Amino acid sequence: MATGSGALTSPSLRLGSIGRARRRPLILAGGGIVALFVALVLGVGLGTVAISPLDTVAILAHRLFGLDLGRTWTPAMDTIVWDLRLPRVLTSMVVGVGLAVSGATFQGLLRNPLADPYVLGTASGAALGAAIAVVIPIRVTFLGFGLIHALAFLGALAAVFTVYRLSRIGGLSPLTSLLLTGYAVGSLLAAGLAMAMYLSGAALRQIFSYLLGGFDTAAWSQLGAAATLVAVGSVLILLRARTLNGLLLGEEAAVHLGVNVGRERAILLGLASLVTAAAVAVSGLIGFVGLVVPHVVRLIVGPNARVVLPLSALGGAALLAFADLAARLLGEIPVGVVTAVIGAPFFLFLLRRSRSGYEL
Amino acid sequence: MAIPSARRARRQPKPHRTLATVLAGIAFALAACTSGAAPSSSAPAATSSPAALATPSPSPSPSAAPAFPTTLTDDEGTAVKLAAEPKKIVSLTPSATETLFALGVGDRVVGKVEDLSLYPPEAGAIPDVAKFGEVDVEQIVGFGTDLVIAGGNSFNPPDKIAQLRTLGVPVLVLYAPDIPTVFTDIELIGAAVGKAPEAKDLTTSMQAGFDQIQAATTGLPKPRVFYELDASQKIYTAADKSFLAAMIELAGGDPITTGSTTNFEIPLETLITKDPEIILLGDAAYGTTAEVVEGRPGWNVMTAVKAKAIKPVDDVVITRPGPRLVEGLRALAAAIHPDANLPSAAPTPPAAASAPASVAP
Repeated sequence: MATGSGALTSPSLRLGSIGRARRRPLILAGGGIVALFVALVLGVGLGTVAISPLDTVAILAHRLFGLDLGRTWTPAMDTIVWDLRLPRVLTSMVVGVGLAVSGATFQGLLRNPLADPYVLGTASGAALGAAIAVVIPIRVTFLGFGLIHALAFLGALAAVFTVYRLSRIGGLSPLTSLLLTGYAVGSLLAAGLAMAMYLSGAALRQIFSYLLGGFDTAAWSQLGAAATLVAVGSVLILLRARTLNGLLLGEEAAVHLGVNVGRERAILLGLASLVTAAAVAVSGLIGFVGLVVPHVVRLIVGPNARVVLPLSALGGAALLAFADLAARLLGEIPVGVVTAVIGAPFFLFLLRRSRSGYEL
Repeated sequence: MAIPSARRARRQPKPHRTLATVLAGIAFALAACTSGAAPSSSAPAATSSPAALATPSPSPSPSAAPAFPTTLTDDEGTAVKLAAEPKKIVSLTPSATETLFALGVGDRVVGKVEDLSLYPPEAGAIPDVAKFGEVDVEQIVGFGTDLVIAGGNSFNPPDKIAQLRTLGVPVLVLYAPDIPTVFTDIELIGAAVGKAPEAKDLTTSMQAGFDQIQAATTGLPKPRVFYELDASQKIYTAADKSFLAAMIELAGGDPITTGSTTNFEIPLETLITKDPEIILLGDAAYGTTAEVVEGRPGWNVMTAVKAKAIKPVDDVVITRPGPRLVEGLRALAAAIHPDANLPSAAPTPPAAASAPASVAP
């Protein structure tokens, strides 16, 4: 991948737009990896407690490789670097990957530019699950997971499952039916959420902070579970990128390409929802990333899912990691605010600049 | 505290009140300036200087607290293990900050919650590591904190409390839904910081103060009291059996409540029907005055408005479940029974602090 940035200087670049277009994905990938690395370094190095870069490196070297770099640090510094900052940065990246990949999948699957990971009710389902977990007076934790994580995860999956089943009743075309059913079920769940918020009393703030999303309580145990689900789901989606390309051409074309449309659509829907559910269970509802990152990638490299999916993953991870860093340094403002403030103008800039027609 | 804060939290999402709600959200704060002269001044344990009259003298109560290590059960039922006497304490509620200073361990407090009505003033030097609803875990860990005192009932985010505990920081979660728990919480803090006898002295003297005020108002007629928490959009007052309702009863008033234990909103029609004889403005610090109340449409039929019995009070001392609660009760009693012969706040300069007038707009 690093060769991509090397290609920048190669003479072939001057040959013309075709060569450039071909190399764009590599350049973008290289840039994404560099950005991720920078975000990781800054995210672990900066915070409300000042820890010198040398100490940070020493702590990480000791933790990761058992190396002794001849520096001493306090247990508090070790906890801050290893148990607070590192899992937080990594969680933001994992969630970024999850939201961007599932966003790209939903957009392709539904052939709708306004689709995002939450379009089929995952967000309302997860939010209602989280709100119920806050309202009912049961407190259980298992391996660092609270009821709020569990019910958010299950709520998201249950919502999509319901939408999918309901959408198959009736004579509308599958896509229209899915979108409209998703909207209807989402509205119903939102009503439930409003009711739960009304009943929540002093716990309202907890529900509110879940709705805003964030990584301030990230921990290794949650990161491990979310990373596994997101990684497995994303890889399985990537393996079906060809199918997704086929579906993009339209149902009929997909059938001619030998795609079992109904089955493939259900599988992709399930995978994307699983990835979304894992992401929102640990981070709450973070908007914008899943909608815009895939569009940005498509504007730059075109619609081929095989390229769009991995680049969206990189872009989502980098965007969320930087957004969370900014949110943290600005005094724990909601990360969704930062993603929108960074991302929306950039997106508008790309939209204005794009000369060729843009399609999904 | 907790009860008004609960109500305020519910109000949060309403538009048009952003600033006010944020301020309100910082819970029970907001008296313009810390009203001075309180029994619990800087002087360490001497604070418990009993009101002139009471029995309690710093008699070392049978030391229930064995030395450390110790395990305490907090108000949420969590067993909190303390290996040694805490030397670096973080206070995440304003009342805990007050209590720690009253117990003479203010110098061990390394971080505190932001408090717009900070008390005592010397706590101002302590860095803020939390705002209402937000806790800077990194800083707390960075201090090497060995005890965090937090607020229950979602005053501090439960996930942050869980995170601190996961990182090995002991967190004592306190929540006082009623007045007896205020006393047990003070004693719990005392046990946690190795000042159990001092805490016992403090609560004994507080109890004595409560008893005297109650005695001074017994036998007097009990006027119907409407305590206004907020009326800028809807009208909010004490819920049934709430902390605030109990305080008004102890002060010799008949609280007008909402008719529900969980709802803090009262419709204007109900309020008119219940016809308050005295209106206390707990929201005086937000700029509500008697003139404002008199000018509200429909309010002029109430006895309190006709009799001009509308008085500002210092909401902070009345609703903050800490060592100054006696002052709060005295302020309430003085507002409800201006002619009653209330015991004055002993050695400290007399009732200046408790007089309702101390609330600046």
